Amino acid sequence: MSETILQLKGISKEYPGVVALDGVSVDVRRGSVHALMGENGAGKSTLGKVICGLITPEAGTITLEGKEVHFHDPSDAVKAGVGMVHQELLFCENLSVAENLCLGDTPRKGWVVDRVKMVEKAREALNRIGAHVDPNARLGSLSVAVQQMVQIAGAVAKGANILIFDEPTSSLSYSESERLFELIQQLQTDGVTCIYVSHRMNEIFRLCDTITVLRDGKLVETRPASEYTNDSLVTAMIGRELSKESGPVAGDLGEVALKVEGLSCPGKFRDVSFEVRNGEVVGFAGLVGAGRTEVLESIFGLEPNATGRVTVHGQDLSFKSPQSAIEKRLGLVPEDRKRHGLVLGMKIRENETLPILDRLARVGFVRRGAERETAKKYFDRLRVKAPGLEAITGGLSGGNQQKVVIAKWVAAECDVLMVDEPTRGVDIGAKTEIHDILREITASGKAVLMVSSELPELLKMATRILVFRGGQVVGELAREEADEEKLIRLMTGIA
Amino acid sequence: MPVMLKRRLIALLNGQQAGLILVIVVLGLILTLFSGQVMDRISGHMQNGFFNPNNLLQIASDASFFAVMAVGVTLVIITGGIDLSVGSIYALCGVTTAIFLRSQPGLQAKDPSFIPFLASAVVCVGIGLLCGLFNGFLVAKLKVHSFIITLGTMWVFRGIAFVTSKGLSINMPQGLTGVFKATLGLEKGQYVVPSLLMVGVTILGSIYLARMVAGRHVYALGGNVEASRYAGLKTGRILIGVFALSGLLAGLSAFAGASYYGAASCADAQGYELFVIASAVVGGASLSGGKGTALGAMLGAILIVMIRAAIRTLHFDQNYEQIIIGTSVVIAVVLDQASSKLSARRLARASRTGGV
Repeated sequence: MSETILQLKGISKEYPGVVALDGVSVDVRRGSVHALMGENGAGKSTLGKVICGLITPEAGTITLEGKEVHFHDPSDAVKAGVGMVHQELLFCENLSVAENLCLGDTPRKGWVVDRVKMVEKAREALNRIGAHVDPNARLGSLSVAVQQMVQIAGAVAKGANILIFDEPTSSLSYSESERLFELIQQLQTDGVTCIYVSHRMNEIFRLCDTITVLRDGKLVETRPASEYTNDSLVTAMIGRELSKESGPVAGDLGEVALKVEGLSCPGKFRDVSFEVRNGEVVGFAGLVGAGRTEVLESIFGLEPNATGRVTVHGQDLSFKSPQSAIEKRLGLVPEDRKRHGLVLGMKIRENETLPILDRLARVGFVRRGAERETAKKYFDRLRVKAPGLEAITGGLSGGNQQKVVIAKWVAAECDVLMVDEPTRGVDIGAKTEIHDILREITASGKAVLMVSSELPELLKMATRILVFRGGQVVGELAREEADEEKLIRLMTGIA
Repeated sequence: MPVMLKRRLIALLNGQQAGLILVIVVLGLILTLFSGQVMDRISGHMQNGFFNPNNLLQIASDASFFAVMAVGVTLVIITGGIDLSVGSIYALCGVTTAIFLRSQPGLQAKDPSFIPFLASAVVCVGIGLLCGLFNGFLVAKLKVHSFIITLGTMWVFRGIAFVTSKGLSINMPQGLTGVFKATLGLEKGQYVVPSLLMVGVTILGSIYLARMVAGRHVYALGGNVEASRYAGLKTGRILIGVFALSGLLAGLSAFAGASYYGAASCADAQGYELFVIASAVVGGASLSGGKGTALGAMLGAILIVMIRAAIRTLHFDQNYEQIIIGTSVVIAVVLDQASSKLSARRLARASRTGGV
């Protein structure tokens, strides 16, 4: 048994328009938790997919346990003992847990599925990683965190001794992430080598012993985690030193821009009241499911069952349709950019101008000059990295897609901009740029309402933080008095 | 101006329709080569059996009734829906207009004059519009998939046509036939009006889709319903709009068709919906929504009619017509997908090197 379990040499992969990987070589030590880090578009996810056979590289060799291997599809990799826990879960939501776990080699009696044996097999797999899940439950009815457990159980049951985690915490709550970390540490002691793809610093430092940094598809370096500090890792990732971020705008508070009184929605949240003043960033903290997103969506008019009173600059808002919200200069950058934020098949220009096309039109005809000009202005302002305005949005990296969503609502010149997890799945460079834009907006005397599950982000950006728990506002902290500990206490209700 | 024209032409050849145009040209060349010489009945000259003005105009006329409907159905398909009822709307519009005209002796003028023409057009197109609004309203309000709704109204509309006409064929006034069989100065028998109508509708449809706010909204809705809702689009109204336009264009097609052929019956346009959907899909519309053009729909209709004509011109056994058309539709769509993949790759490469 050699020390190196997996060796990648000169891996290259090219897509139309981008070189995703350019001669990357990495050695992965047996039994380590090895991080692949980099900004969005650096090639870390692509490299993970190469290792598990989802992508065939154009050049380079993969050596597993001293033998050169060629994976043509994921099943080759699974046979060789490489499994993946994927960012967007590759499972059939309409089937049961057991059916999913046995997909590919379903136990049968003749032509008929042997249900008893299937459930037994599934239970065994789940027990091995200590996951308490009903094998008969329909997968789609389970939370993302539990689905992920099932996926890990499946990979381990198929004999994986290398597991690749691709941004596993991107849709998990705080406590769910904690459980995942424990599981990864347990897997490590069981001798499974983990490759952890992420750009979240605190997770990496907590879990990983070795870090490989990629930038623009090229290998920057592979070093033990202990040799890095937060700052040196960021510098390695973005290739320059990050400017120190300043706090929120300490400008004068203006008049009340948005006033919400007694907003309720059956089964989601109740009796929510607050104000947002011009020049202010109000943050919403809370666990996943505390009702923060639902409050924003109700204000924006997406929730027909909501009751209460919402006023924008003193004018009543019917909050029954997004159209009226947009007319009153309200904007919402939704949590899920792919589902709610963008039409991925359309061009950047078309996405940017979608909510305000009426303003850029004369008698129903789009004024093409005006449209281009507007789109270009905010494309440049957000520094979207793309071949041009006419590029298809679906081909951009996550961070650039998020910039397009934000550009779209900045272009709408909102008086009140609501942003829901504005930097989720976005790399550090883009994150700073998005924060700068939000600061600019408040500095120009407009109001921002921000939901974020990243407490450091809230503490950095918000002038005031409202804490949600179980669909209610349970506390409000001014910036000066807030810290992570106080927030977590309020969020979880543990005194 | 020539530079402008050249640029447009290049854009067209690089665009989505490139593959389709190529297929049409190649098929045209094959037909020209293999169709042999025939004698023109009127002038007595010998000419190519396929590539002669009469035959080409005949193909264009046949295609035009499909194409007008296909432009409308393409709008529906871009939103991710489907309209199976256009053939029935065609029959219903034709029959009711013919009955209406028969009941109005004042509109029976032999010579085409403006007022009767306008009145009958308004009736026919208006009924189509109402049928389309009905479809759209049901789809938008009941939130049932348009396949189901229009499958139902397909039978309902044809049923109404059957009941009102009592299953009989009803003649259209000769004046109207005169309008749609006008040669506009061409030789006798060269009916050019339906083709002009087709081109006109295609141009209007293209402008609607490419230049108007409403058209952009149609693409957005088909691309992502949820994102459209979050962007403040009135999704219900957009849906009702596309079905209304689809119905309206079916009515327009019926007006042209019934006038051209001189009669309307409840059995008209039976099975047209499938030809129309095939035209839209061959023209590059994607049934999953977000993709499609008016020009593509027109070219698709022309290609399908050309394939039917090819069977006659090349003296294939007519009994194999359905097999040949079915196969060609599938092949055409596969080719179209391959060519659009190629052009996407070319564009990506161009954007990388910085030149075009």
